[in-house]
Amino acid sequence: MPRKRHTKEKKNRDLAIPTDSFSDIAFLLIIYFILATTLTKVRSITADLPSGEKTTQAQPEKTSIVNLRGSELFFNDQKMEIGALNERLAALNLGEQDGNKRVIMLESARGTSYENYFQALAAISAHGGVVAIVENEK
Amino acid sequence: MGDIAFLLIIFFLVCSEASKDKSDLDVKLPYSEHVAKQKTTVVARVALDGTGQIYFDGVKVDSAKDVEWGVRNLLTNTVADDQRHVQFKCDKLQSKEAFEPILQAIAEAGGIIEAVGEKSEK
Repeated sequence: MPRKRHTKEKKNRDLAIPTDSFSDIAFLLIIYFILATTLTKVRSITADLPSGEKTTQAQPEKTSIVNLRGSELFFNDQKMEIGALNERLAALNLGEQDGNKRVIMLESARGTSYENYFQALAAISAHGGVVAIVENEK
Repeated sequence: MGDIAFLLIIFFLVCSEASKDKSDLDVKLPYSEHVAKQKTTVVARVALDGTGQIYFDGVKVDSAKDVEWGVRNLLTNTVADDQRHVQFKCDKLQSKEAFEPILQAIAEAGGIIEAVGEKSEK
C-alpha cells in the first residue's frame, strides 16, 4: 500500500511546470535586446529634384549653373572651391526666392565622382536651391 | 519580477523595428558640412555600393528603371510631401554614369532624395 501512495505523489509533482527560472530567462532576453539594438540615426541632405518633361531649351542667362569637371568646380563658368560656392549661393538668398529663381542647374562631366557631386548638391540644397540636373547629350 | 521582465520584453518587441537597411554594404559615404540628422521617415532605401550594384530596400535590382518603378509603386497614393522621402546611399567613388540615372529615377517617380553622407568640418 505505501508503495502505491508514492507513485501518486510522483505523478502530481510531474504535472507542475517549474516557473522559477522564468524571470532569469526574461532578464537575459532583455539584456540581449538592449545589447543587440543599435540606435542609428543617419545624416543626410534633402534634395528635391524637380521631375517632369525633359527640355532641350535652357535659360542659362537667367539660371545659375554649377559645373563639375573632374575634380574642378565652376559656378557660372568661374572656377572656385566649395567654400566660395557656399558664399556665392548664400548671397543669392535662394530660400527667399520663389519659383524658377530658386533653380540651380547642376551639370557634371563624365566620370565625375559622387563625392564632388554630393558636395555641390549639398551646398545648393542647404542654401534653399532646387537642383535641376543637366543631362549631357549621348 | 518575472511579470515586469516579460512586460519589458513585450515593450522592446513592439517598439523595435527590423531594419530594412543592409548594413553590410560596401559603401564609403561622401562628406559635407551641410549634412544633418535625418528627421523624416523614409518610404524606401536605395543604395549603390562600391561594386556598382543597386539595392532597393535591401534587395538587389538590375537597373535604375527598377528603382523608378519601385518608388512609383510606393508613392501611388501618397499626397503629403513628408511621405515622399527616399533615402539614397551611394559610394563616394562611384561615377556620374552610375549614380545620376538613379537620382533621376527617384525624382521621376516623385521621391524627395535624402542623400546620406557624413559630417565634415568646415
